[in-house]
Amino acid sequence: MPKLPLDGIRIIDFTVVIAGPAATAKLGDMGAEVIRIESIQEIGTGARTTRAKITKEQMETSPIQRRAYPDGDPGERPWNRGAGFNAHSRNKLCMTVDLKKPEGLEILEKLVAQSDVLIENHATDYMERKGITYDWLKKIKPDIIMVRMPGWGTHGPYAYWRTFGSTAEGHIGRSALSGYQDMDSSHIPWVFPADANAGTIAAFATTAALYHRKKTGKGQMIDLALAENILNILGAPFLDYTMNGRITENPGNRHPSAAPHGTYPTKGEDRWINITVTNDAEWNGFCEAIGNPTWTQNENYASTGSRWENQDSLDEHIQSWTKEQDHFDAMHLLQSHGVPAGPVMDAGDAVRDPHLEARGYFEAVNHSEIGVHRYPGMFFKFSETPLKIRRPAPRLGEDNEYVYKELLKYSDEEYSQFEQDGHIGMDYAPHVP
Amino acid sequence: MADIPLTGYRALDLTSLYMGPFCTRMLADYGADVIKIEPVSGDPARDEGPFFHDENHPEKSGLFLHLNVNKRSMTTNIETAQGQNIIRELAKSSDIVVESFKPGYLENLGLGYEDLVKINPKIIVTSVTNFGQTGPYKNWEGTDLTLYAMGASMKTSGQEHKYPLKIAGRIASFQTGNLAATATALAIWNRELTGAPEHVDVSFFETWKGAIDRSTNDLVAYSYTNESSKRQWNPGMGIANGVFRCKDGYFHISAAGAIRFPRLMKMIGKGKDLIHPPWNNPNALNRPETLELFDSFFIPWMLEHTKTDLRNMCQEQGVLGAPINTIEDLLNDPHYIQRGYWQEIEHPETGSVKYPGFPFKLHATPNPERVRAPLLGEHTNDILQNELKYSNDEIQALQAQGVI
Repeated sequence: MPKLPLDGIRIIDFTVVIAGPAATAKLGDMGAEVIRIESIQEIGTGARTTRAKITKEQMETSPIQRRAYPDGDPGERPWNRGAGFNAHSRNKLCMTVDLKKPEGLEILEKLVAQSDVLIENHATDYMERKGITYDWLKKIKPDIIMVRMPGWGTHGPYAYWRTFGSTAEGHIGRSALSGYQDMDSSHIPWVFPADANAGTIAAFATTAALYHRKKTGKGQMIDLALAENILNILGAPFLDYTMNGRITENPGNRHPSAAPHGTYPTKGEDRWINITVTNDAEWNGFCEAIGNPTWTQNENYASTGSRWENQDSLDEHIQSWTKEQDHFDAMHLLQSHGVPAGPVMDAGDAVRDPHLEARGYFEAVNHSEIGVHRYPGMFFKFSETPLKIRRPAPRLGEDNEYVYKELLKYSDEEYSQFEQDGHIGMDYAPHVP
Repeated sequence: MADIPLTGYRALDLTSLYMGPFCTRMLADYGADVIKIEPVSGDPARDEGPFFHDENHPEKSGLFLHLNVNKRSMTTNIETAQGQNIIRELAKSSDIVVESFKPGYLENLGLGYEDLVKINPKIIVTSVTNFGQTGPYKNWEGTDLTLYAMGASMKTSGQEHKYPLKIAGRIASFQTGNLAATATALAIWNRELTGAPEHVDVSFFETWKGAIDRSTNDLVAYSYTNESSKRQWNPGMGIANGVFRCKDGYFHISAAGAIRFPRLMKMIGKGKDLIHPPWNNPNALNRPETLELFDSFFIPWMLEHTKTDLRNMCQEQGVLGAPINTIEDLLNDPHYIQRGYWQEIEHPETGSVKYPGFPFKLHATPNPERVRAPLLGEHTNDILQNELKYSNDEIQALQAQGVI
């Protein structure tokens, strides 16, 4: 197998929910040996699935839960079957250890001594309570890199606040910038980009720290505050306030100065196309594509400025056209006239999409408990280095033998003892719900 | 110059507008020397607002100023032979070229990946484009809205009876830039080990297909059950989960689940009810009738409390919650001030203006303060004269011909 960029880099993965796993997913894809640390004594928040031993009855109360499992079936070990976990945990390993027992920390210590990076995204005090601080890590492995990604960073008045990415987005002003213009903030869309964004940047940060270590031989701690990271990608609305004292209004799907720019209904149930026209060339292309109906000659629509001023009536005209179109056919027609247009795609559209197919985006992966399924593939492509899914998401404790025996050199007797003591296993303890 | 992780690497930035400049901004923030090549008329982002005091002026675009801190600007008409020579000469001394043209455009100018590898056998070329370098859509147009709609799970965003909603601002483009920066940093890391060049292909469309916050989950769920996710206000996330009106604004509460829901009930003075149905049955909590019962006392309770009270109570009780703020609320917030997050940046056209700070802090190698975005062509002469050793006469001739 060809060498991958991060071959030989070992990463201890203490991540949960979304932001942290999004980081280690990228590093694992690049060849790092990412070892997820889990426990059979508890299921971390959103670490695998919302609850370990979900039943069919419990799944019925939430359609999201049902879709999360292959064929809607929780199976014997539901925790190995979750869609979210199995999407982002490809190319990662999993060991189990109970850090609530004193020897748990000793086991971790041995692993730290052989690792390059530790990544975590818990509330700041969580790791401190477990005794896993940067100072502790540094004593064991002086050049270790520790990446921490709590909501508001590791120092400052809110350092110990608990949050999800979603709640942090309200705090930094992102949530108030999306939604319907005719509805209030209690109806914001339930989609939050902060976690996936922070995960991407944490992978960048880890790489930056590796450069520093290569140049100087020194490790370090990285403080990635989720809130500050997402603020950094607001830009224009932020500067509108600091330059002009203006609070940017939520524009819905509209553009601040051009029209048409929106989401229009097409034929079929809940089918939509997005059309954006920001200059005269695109407008002319649009009019030509739809056959130059007489309303397009109206002087209300003659310039970018007048189209923007008259966008309500313009949108009605456009809808009357889109309603008769198939969303994919309309995309092809408009694109052939140079107009940025794209349907709102759902997952079914994506798996049938010829472009993704041509690029080999989805990869078929065989998971020993759930068989072969297609998974979203690499985040990006390298021309000279073939990147791919090398192994499916790890089952709980799947790599215990490798980690305990090969890496940490525990004997068979010690391994059995750890099994009896509740560190090692592939099933959650009976008391875990 | 401070030695931070990417110090010593040079990136030649051929991009404009949003995602490419965001990528090079990340590289510049963490030490790379970024030379931004602008057309003689300037990066079109200079024509986009918000403008300082609403004056439409190429040096006053808040969007441009935010995206181009820490870079140098050089104007070059890339469609002229002399302009292409300048790019080739700069590519020799660069480690990275970032571009976001339609696939094939640079190849036609003799500046494609294969051409650049001949000049500089260790070059990393990052192409960050709408649909990637291959496939049937590769030459298609796209904008923040259309690409987000195709790539992300926009279909699940918004109310069931209304149209799907986009994400705020230009986050969709910027996240693509972030991914491109990460891919570039990893490609350079690889080059240090192998000495080999690399062409990095980042697609806006696929960036959002691979978004772990929602999209990958939906794609794998489809793969498992042949069902696509639907648009719902609160898609099965459970009780006490949402944005609620409070006394002086709106407040986001996230308290579903066996651990957090009891904490919330205690917080609102209903701790004693936890032993009674339906609150004592986790399976009953997400039933519509339970949600309705809960809302009947929770919504009025929220209206009696302010954002500050709620925030403090939530943190005391271990409930996840935060106010829905505007930028105005943030600037006086003691947390960000104490962390030294905001940056005051001087600019000849805007004076001193506050910018968002760095996305993360490296403790061993703190970033030096950012340098303001460059004026159009501010560094053209300097780079031509001092780095590429053009004479004054040659520079004047290029100017006269409209190359620079």
